[in-house]
Amino acid sequence: MAQPIMQLRGVSKSFGMTHALTDLSLDLYPGEVHALVGENGAGKSTMIKIMTGVYQPTAGDIHVDGGVRKIQGPQAARDLGVAAIYQEPMVFPDLDVTENIFISARSEGLFRRPARQARKARDLIARIGMETDVDQVASGLTLAEQQAVEIARALSEDVRVLIMDEPTASLSAHEATRLRGIARSLAAEGVAVVYISHRLEEIFEIADRVTVIRDGSHISTRDIAEVTPDGMIAEMVGRDVGNYLNKAPSTAQDEVALQITNLTQSGVFEDIDFTLHRGEVICMAGLVGARRTDVALSIFGVEPATSGTIRVFGQDHQITHPRQAMDAGIAYVSEDRRKLGLAMPMPIRANISVATLGGFLNRWGILNQDAEREVAENYRTRLNIRTPDVEIPVGTLSGGNQQKVMLAKWLNMNPEILIFDEPTRGIDVGAKAEVHDLIREFAAAGGAAIVISSDLPEVLALGDRILVMREGQQMGLLTAQEATQERIMVLATGQAETMEAS
Amino acid sequence: MLRILDKLNPQALRILALLLVVVAVLVFFSLVVPNYLNGRLFNRISSSVAIMALLATAQTLVIITRNIDLSIGSTIGFVAFATGSLITNNPDLGPVILVAYAMGLGAMFGAINGALVAFAKVPSIIVTLGTLALFRSALVEYSDSKSISTANLPEWLVSFPNTVLWQWGQMQFRAAFVAAVLVVILVHIALTRLRAARKLYAIGSNPEAAEMAGINTRKTVFVAFVLAGALAGLGGFMFLARFGTITVVAGLGLELKSVAASVVGGVNIFGGSGTVIGALLGAVLVDLIDTSLVRWQLVSEFWREAVLGVLILLSVATDALLMRRLMAARQAREHRKAEAKIAQELASTNRGGAE
Amino acid sequence: MKSTKTLGLLAALMMSGASLANAQTALEGGQEADMVLLPKFLGILVFDQANEGAQEAHAELGNPGELLFVGPTPENSVAGQIEIMTTAATQGQGAVMLSNNAGDQIAPSAVAAQEAGTRVVTWDSPIPGGEGEDVFVAQVDFGSIGTVMADMAHSILGGEGQMAVLSATPDAANQNAWIASMQEALKGDKYANIELVDIVYGDDQAEVSYNRALSLVDQYPDLGVIMSPTTVGIQASAKAMQDEGLCDQVKVSGLGLPSEMVSYTMNGCAPEFALWDFRDLGYLTYYTAYGLATGQLTGDIGESFSAGRMGDFAIEEDPGRPGSKRILMGPFTVYTSENVEAAAQ
Repeated sequence: MAQPIMQLRGVSKSFGMTHALTDLSLDLYPGEVHALVGENGAGKSTMIKIMTGVYQPTAGDIHVDGGVRKIQGPQAARDLGVAAIYQEPMVFPDLDVTENIFISARSEGLFRRPARQARKARDLIARIGMETDVDQVASGLTLAEQQAVEIARALSEDVRVLIMDEPTASLSAHEATRLRGIARSLAAEGVAVVYISHRLEEIFEIADRVTVIRDGSHISTRDIAEVTPDGMIAEMVGRDVGNYLNKAPSTAQDEVALQITNLTQSGVFEDIDFTLHRGEVICMAGLVGARRTDVALSIFGVEPATSGTIRVFGQDHQITHPRQAMDAGIAYVSEDRRKLGLAMPMPIRANISVATLGGFLNRWGILNQDAEREVAENYRTRLNIRTPDVEIPVGTLSGGNQQKVMLAKWLNMNPEILIFDEPTRGIDVGAKAEVHDLIREFAAAGGAAIVISSDLPEVLALGDRILVMREGQQMGLLTAQEATQERIMVLATGQAETMEAS
Repeated sequence: MLRILDKLNPQALRILALLLVVVAVLVFFSLVVPNYLNGRLFNRISSSVAIMALLATAQTLVIITRNIDLSIGSTIGFVAFATGSLITNNPDLGPVILVAYAMGLGAMFGAINGALVAFAKVPSIIVTLGTLALFRSALVEYSDSKSISTANLPEWLVSFPNTVLWQWGQMQFRAAFVAAVLVVILVHIALTRLRAARKLYAIGSNPEAAEMAGINTRKTVFVAFVLAGALAGLGGFMFLARFGTITVVAGLGLELKSVAASVVGGVNIFGGSGTVIGALLGAVLVDLIDTSLVRWQLVSEFWREAVLGVLILLSVATDALLMRRLMAARQAREHRKAEAKIAQELASTNRGGAE
Repeated sequence: MKSTKTLGLLAALMMSGASLANAQTALEGGQEADMVLLPKFLGILVFDQANEGAQEAHAELGNPGELLFVGPTPENSVAGQIEIMTTAATQGQGAVMLSNNAGDQIAPSAVAAQEAGTRVVTWDSPIPGGEGEDVFVAQVDFGSIGTVMADMAHSILGGEGQMAVLSATPDAANQNAWIASMQEALKGDKYANIELVDIVYGDDQAEVSYNRALSLVDQYPDLGVIMSPTTVGIQASAKAMQDEGLCDQVKVSGLGLPSEMVSYTMNGCAPEFALWDFRDLGYLTYYTAYGLATGQLTGDIGESFSAGRMGDFAIEEDPGRPGSKRILMGPFTVYTSENVEAAAQ
């Protein structure tokens, strides 16, 4: 093998008393896709930040092309050809694509040359197989396009080590496939790609080698051929999680909890039609743009439907506001924890009580913090939220634990019907299994659940029935027995019609 | 028409919307105030907006980086006084030296702000609230209760702002206004054409990403404050030339007016977007409403401030509404285009799959 | 003395009447009392002149105590005045001499100061409600100032024409009182042909006043004089008229500082304006406050005393503020091209 481009040698990083990384070593070779896996909080982000010059290691060295280099800051990292792209792309929403790509270019002289840059930007975008309009402002781009912009920016600077941190977590299957294609072709051009993902299947698809880290320490580095999924998971979590993708037995009862008839929101979705029973879990599958979230939001009253009926436990409800949905016993756990779900700077306690604040007032109308704390503590143990106490800000928790706080917030309402929108996006394997257990527990206790998920194995494992949507249309409602990944995909991509037609 | 709108970028759209609002305000007041629309109105607005245009430009540079400069009124007061006292004591100094002195002094104040914000990492609203009082106290101390008086200023300085460069009917294009507009255009060109200027927008747009992209955010923010200070210093020079008499209250309250002008002009208070041309129009709009209200008999003095506030809010709202409409119409068209493309793509892949 | 045209004959008569009725208190120097002179804010020439007058009296009376000249900065005037008043009370100062810029908001802290044994003497601008104030040293009779302004307008307009007022802030107590008294005076037959068309406010800021003055000209094409009872407003108006070449058409008058107005008076933009002597005001205020702080004066109506070089003064009820007390300084000076240059030196 050729000489490694970049080597970490015994790198450690501590913040005060906490050791984020301990004696970590890693070699990155040109032309390889090197997967990096580990639970949330294992130290992956710290490692990226050291490689990109944001943090300085407390011990150990970084070698580039065989020589020790100090990476003093992001600019220094870029000068060495090290760049990173993230799940949440780091673009400038107010600048256009061209400006985004060349924002840190140094060899461009004093004045901007918009026409020349736009031409170069178009070339770069084309090189990674995209067709984005380079004059468009970045705030209007999809996530996938924003990532493409970041990759183009890295390419414009002759990137040699490209770190991709959970790049596909928020992408549709189609977009994710294309992104992995880009990663592979960059590797083929001699770039060392560091690929971080919670989706094990994509690691097996593209990685040449896999490094597992846990609790800030290096556990193993192996060729992909020597790795099995179970072995990898075991190394990541340091325990046997069992197969979380095993199908749990259905707990559905006869009583109908929610009956949706011909629900339509003109121009968005139409004729959604299903019944949800007590104890049942219905999963909604579909590609990005299938309008599943819009259906959920209209059931929850955020964007009321224009026609159709919503019947809850046998009673018709006109739901035009979330308050009415909550009164009817419906709760919605949103996908975007940051935007819709949680107040990041506030403590866990306050986040859990916020939707049910009325229940925590004493008779003078004053908030009883002890009662709040007690409830929060209760959820902390029950949901296994990993935190020393419930007074710390939610923003400091890992993604999986934030998700659990979200769940606690809504479970505390004692809803009859709970809608989960992408409940396991971006959280690690261990936390995923726990969230699944919680949903099943909720159903077993007599609750009715709708789970929107783009993760097909999850849909199959969790759903008693699976509702597949495509572009605002209900394409089918499969039972667990009928459902396979292939069948769902056929429905979700609309190939069923054409196949039948031809 | 819609086609043309599609081609304009959002900032150009915003300027168009602002112009429409300015026209609306002009039409409204010409209906309620007799003798309103004439060349004199232009002369009044253009003369009084000359200083505010510079301040709004300075403020815009800072706001773009997601900061704010509340010390700008104190800076202008100090610079006006110090420049006035320099020329009073050395009447033979030429314009170039005087302007350089004013801008240098302003830049120094900007550097104090910039250093505290960029390097000491204190939020700009706190830093400049502090320096607002500090610079004003420095002026009180420095002035020793004297005031600069027109009588001690050289003739060229006092007559400069009102020198008519050219005239079109009753409309006079005076030196102060022309100079201010030239500066605004110069800054506009710099902001849109200089590569380094993109960094200002980048930092305001997404500070974290800017850091990651290897932009030296500290240096850039520092430079933004220094430039804003220098422009405020130039404003101080113009203030001296226009009003002649400078006391310790000079420029009091201009910081908020400059923020108002910028925001009305479409500069995003959270940074990342905005143009100085917009800020200039914002300054014109605020000044126009202010001046016109004095002449509107219906509104008594006690309500004038309140009405001014309401009108500013209204014009901002109208502007935002117009913007949203225009953007929504455009997005809807783009969306339809994109959907058509996806449909096409799907059709072709399906055909491929079916074969 | 210089050839100044002095007014305020009425006031002089009232004073001599008072001195006939009461025995004079001759203030005795050498007693100790710490004094605070508190202007609206620092950095304004007239307040410094008042300080010079107070320092002069301080030295003359041989007060072994301290005379402090402290004030807030311009952007912090109201809050700063209240704070300084409170501090003075806790320090046990003998007297605070206040040119009030805080309206009645300062009353609670002034009352507290009085209760702590500090005497509160206002000058230049009183506490409107009179609460918390021992006595107000009035620069001129607020009633007669209206007549003086009306007379200046009459003389500039030649007895006939339009006049507009450019004041300070809409809630400035002294300016509002003067304008009211001028409106009262204008009802006289002598001024029958003078029309007061508008009252606008320049917030005592040069740039606002400048723009307001021009708006007045635009609004009233036949305007003959802008009357501005504030030193900032009169100066800014004169500059605006001069800049726009309007001096032949619109004259400026009001209350101004000779040093700031001299060029406009000489070139005819502001042919007449008036002002009192702030040095004298400071001097008299100090004598009054010293008398009160050392217990030589009680501050009752009818009491009279002798204030060094300025002669005899009496405490009387303030006609503009029933229930409050004042000492009337007067007279004040009308400046024209004949005397302004000498005064500007």
